[in-house]
Amino acid sequence: MANTVIAQGITIEGELTSDEEVVIQGTLRGKLVSKDAVNVESGAVVEADIAASSLSVGGQITGNVTASDRVDLMPGGRLIGDVKASRLTIADGASFKGNVDMDV
Amino acid sequence: MARASSTSHGQMAILGKGAHLRGRIAGDGDLRVEGVISGDVALKGHLTVESGAEIVADVEARSVIVDGAIEGDIAAIESVAIRAGARVSGAIRGSSISIEEGANVSGRIDADFELPPELGGKTSR
Repeated sequence: MANTVIAQGITIEGELTSDEEVVIQGTLRGKLVSKDAVNVESGAVVEADIAASSLSVGGQITGNVTASDRVDLMPGGRLIGDVKASRLTIADGASFKGNVDMDV
Repeated sequence: MARASSTSHGQMAILGKGAHLRGRIAGDGDLRVEGVISGDVALKGHLTVESGAEIVADVEARSVIVDGAIEGDIAAIESVAIRAGARVSGAIRGSSISIEEGANVSGRIDADFELPPELGGKTSR
């Protein structure tokens, strides 16, 4: 319940670590490490490397992402950077530039 | 006990329990802190520091409610409320400041108010 929400209009510069789910609607520059899911929602701008259990991208990310479970690029989502995850989906309408490592 | 509930500007941002931020956080909206921040906080909205939360840096907001710990200066345009059980070390500045019994505060307190002329001295002469 008590998870972390970086709301629209909020800017974080630095390193954010969390044991719980993180939802980003605003801006994050730096680094993000979460033991739970990370949800970058539409309108969010992230310039950071992200490590999480799972990652859903509806906004814009510039940085390398690592997920222990899965990465989902949603329609309208934009990811520039390398993906390391055992499962990856890219929806119709998503943009992606980078390398994929599915750890086979 | 007036709680900054109605958020006229945007959705409430939350730094949850188990979250740790090393860096700066700034923005227009409100922020509720349940985790740990080591880095400056500058908000145009209301800041609530919940019990168990900790901020080690200077804090700037429209109004501030502290139930947790702040190690650094607090500057508010409106009110600063230090609740019982809170721990604050640093200068506190605001247009109105309240400290509940049981709170632990060390530092300067700077509340803007008009001194009556007999105490202010300078204006009457």
